[in-house]
Amino acid sequence: MTAPVPPPVVAVSGLARSYGATRALDGVTLEVRPGEIAGLIGANGAGKSTLIKVLSGAVRPSAGTITLDGRPFAPAGPLDAQAAGVQTVHQNIDDGVVFGATVAENLTLDSIARRGGRWFSTPARIRAEAGAVAEAAGLALPLDAPVETLPAGARQQIVIARALARRARLLILDEPTSTLSAAEADALARKVRRAAASGVAVLYVSHRLAEIESLCDRVIVLRDGRVRRVFTAPLRRAAIVEAMLGEFAAPVAPVDAAAPADRAGRRTVGAAVLTAAGVRAAPGGTPFDLDLREGEVLGVTGLLGSGKTGLLQQLGGARPLVSGEMRLCGAPYRPAHPRAAIAAGVAYAAEERSAQAIVPGWSVRAHVTLPTLRAHSRAGLLSRRSETAAARRVSARFGVKGPGAEAPIETLSGGNQQKVVVGRWLEAAPRVLLLDEPFRGVDVGARADIGRVVREAGTMAVVVASSDPQEIVEVADRVLVLHEGSPAGELRAAEATPERLAALMSGGAA
Amino acid sequence: MTATGTAGTDRARHGTASAGARAAATAYRYGLPALLVAMVAIFSILRPAFGTYANALIVLQSVSVVGVVALGVTVSMTTGGFDLSAGACVGAVVMVTALAMVRFNLTGGTAIVAGLLTGLLVAGVNVLLTVVARVPDLVATLGTMFLFQGLALILTGGQSVAAGMTVDGAPAPGRYTEGFAWLGGGSIGTVPVPVAVFALLALAVYVLLHRSRWGRALYAIGGNAEAARLAGIRVARYRALAYVVSGLCAAVAGIMLSARLGRGDVGAGDPYLLQSVAAALIGYAVLGANRPNAPGTVVGALFIGVMINGMTMLNAPYYAQTFVQGALLVGALVVSYTLTPGRRAAGPGR
Repeated sequence: MTAPVPPPVVAVSGLARSYGATRALDGVTLEVRPGEIAGLIGANGAGKSTLIKVLSGAVRPSAGTITLDGRPFAPAGPLDAQAAGVQTVHQNIDDGVVFGATVAENLTLDSIARRGGRWFSTPARIRAEAGAVAEAAGLALPLDAPVETLPAGARQQIVIARALARRARLLILDEPTSTLSAAEADALARKVRRAAASGVAVLYVSHRLAEIESLCDRVIVLRDGRVRRVFTAPLRRAAIVEAMLGEFAAPVAPVDAAAPADRAGRRTVGAAVLTAAGVRAAPGGTPFDLDLREGEVLGVTGLLGSGKTGLLQQLGGARPLVSGEMRLCGAPYRPAHPRAAIAAGVAYAAEERSAQAIVPGWSVRAHVTLPTLRAHSRAGLLSRRSETAAARRVSARFGVKGPGAEAPIETLSGGNQQKVVVGRWLEAAPRVLLLDEPFRGVDVGARADIGRVVREAGTMAVVVASSDPQEIVEVADRVLVLHEGSPAGELRAAEATPERLAALMSGGAA
Repeated sequence: MTATGTAGTDRARHGTASAGARAAATAYRYGLPALLVAMVAIFSILRPAFGTYANALIVLQSVSVVGVVALGVTVSMTTGGFDLSAGACVGAVVMVTALAMVRFNLTGGTAIVAGLLTGLLVAGVNVLLTVVARVPDLVATLGTMFLFQGLALILTGGQSVAAGMTVDGAPAPGRYTEGFAWLGGGSIGTVPVPVAVFALLALAVYVLLHRSRWGRALYAIGGNAEAARLAGIRVARYRALAYVVSGLCAAVAGIMLSARLGRGDVGAGDPYLLQSVAAALIGYAVLGANRPNAPGTVVGALFIGVMINGMTMLNAPYYAQTFVQGALLVGALVVSYTLTPGRRAAGPGR
């Protein structure tokens, strides 16, 4: 504490960046000092990616300042940022290597691409140059091997070696271990420590808490575009998860504000609708049994990569069953396609609204009726009246606000878009409704509206997957917690507190 | 399509509609149809013979084969595919129908069936390549194009097929039947058969794409295939359906062309690919659709037909036609890709 603190390599102050109405960064202030490995952590949509894009020069901030080694830093583009000493290794490694080229060629890409670089090169010269880069980074790879023959970890080492060969002051690693094996991840950690020991500042983004814990000197927690907490080693996982996921003290009261215990007691939970035996959330996970009962809301929670989506997609026919078998109302159920699941009465509302639900330019009406086109047509011809009625029903039930059923869905706010793509599944009158992150990117009001309808779902069995324990506690009768593809615990509503869920999610005991 | 000078009044009526942005949107929606009407008016003034019923039928007849191919290509585009084999399919069907009647002395009805089966075969190869083998549409159908251009040549030994041709030292036994020839040269009342077929198919494709649930599913796949899949649409089946419709349309066009030519010319189908693709792409800019659509494709085909016919009447050299078509297509693409009101750039991908 009393040791002289070196001046920070990078200092960010009041950084903001908006996309339309969304404030991706809302006044971020942080600094990273030389030799320090700072973890950057946050849930989906917290602003991590935007912050990295700003620092690496890909995106310009709308407000705020950055200094690099004390001088103002406002890169005109990624190359500018690189020249200034900010080296970024992006999450998708394969964007950073050129397939069809050798390791040596990949290591020397920068000198090939540089303006004023040599316009003539020989294999021998490339090899010599690559050898120097590899040695500096402690890289032991066959220089003549084609890059595509190497495992992901080796490709990443190439990208990192290149980043280090450029003059690095700040090294940004974005989810570097997401495709690596444990051994490869260890090798990477050693490399990162070595870089830090040479005085480079490292900003390390990951959602793997164990990794953050063992590697980082400090952890910066980002949520809703702001720095919420900064933890210094020794780090406590549960506290980090809490800071990441939000203030448990200020829950959004659903319209049906009954305490969970009362709720569970009052609701009539009926016969099993869907039973699954020996299923896995992800290949390699522990198999488990699952049953969904009439009128029950099962919450499924876990961090990124816990297998929530995988589990729901298997139940909904959107991906093949990893193992085990399922029965729906007593009959064998093994949907090969979402169509089969819908026909059997299982509806799956996907996680990523824009990638998995929105058809660009389509009206609210067309989005509402897409899963139920058959019901709105006679002899194959669609009935506009029937479609409009459905759009009105969904809008009324969920309180969708917007310019009407014929307006393109993009003209609605995110929350209202979400109500449409979630609410349309009720039109299919399913027996089982699977909602994957139904509250993501949704404001408090829309969250309450969706939650209310889920609670009023009647005899339907509902599964809500969310990485936010608060949302789960608000809506679920029973909670299944997943951790890295395996069940980490199952709690009844009365026992489930956000704190306990957070502890289970991070791999600890309840 | 009789020529009346309504373009000016049309513009004026919509132009009074308040703000400039609104006017721009209107211009975008109705720009191409208005331009088509204006073109008809100008040609009629310059060459009174242009604006007659008889000439209108000539234009329509010349457009009908391209138009039918273009309707099929339009359907193939709705799912995000692209049928480059349509022209080759037309050519293959011309050869197959000619062979059936001339070389094998079969009936006109059999020739039609053989032609339609050829269309299905082309579609089958496209489906195998794109849906089963997952080859990208553009290159897959390019391959199919070469295959069937080559196959048509092999079938006929690289020769054109005409009545009286020598086969193994003897004259070929058959000739085009009258009933078959009627499909190309006959008329119902005053309306030529190909024009009637084009109109019927245009209506059918319109209903399929814009009024039926199958059309909705096709567009959903083109807009966001993963969203369509998760909404329970069997994407592979619909992509196959799109190619089948495209293949059948090209086969119908090939039958009409064969009937009109009265012989199986080598390379008869070759010009139809580019013209039909141009018609479908010009159609993107009609009525602000900004996607493949049946009315737009009809307007696009008419556009090309009117332009070529009018220029011919103005004694423009035939060799300038391709350039003019190209300029038309490029202009329509610019309208549809950059001038679309409210067009969104790729969002801030997070």
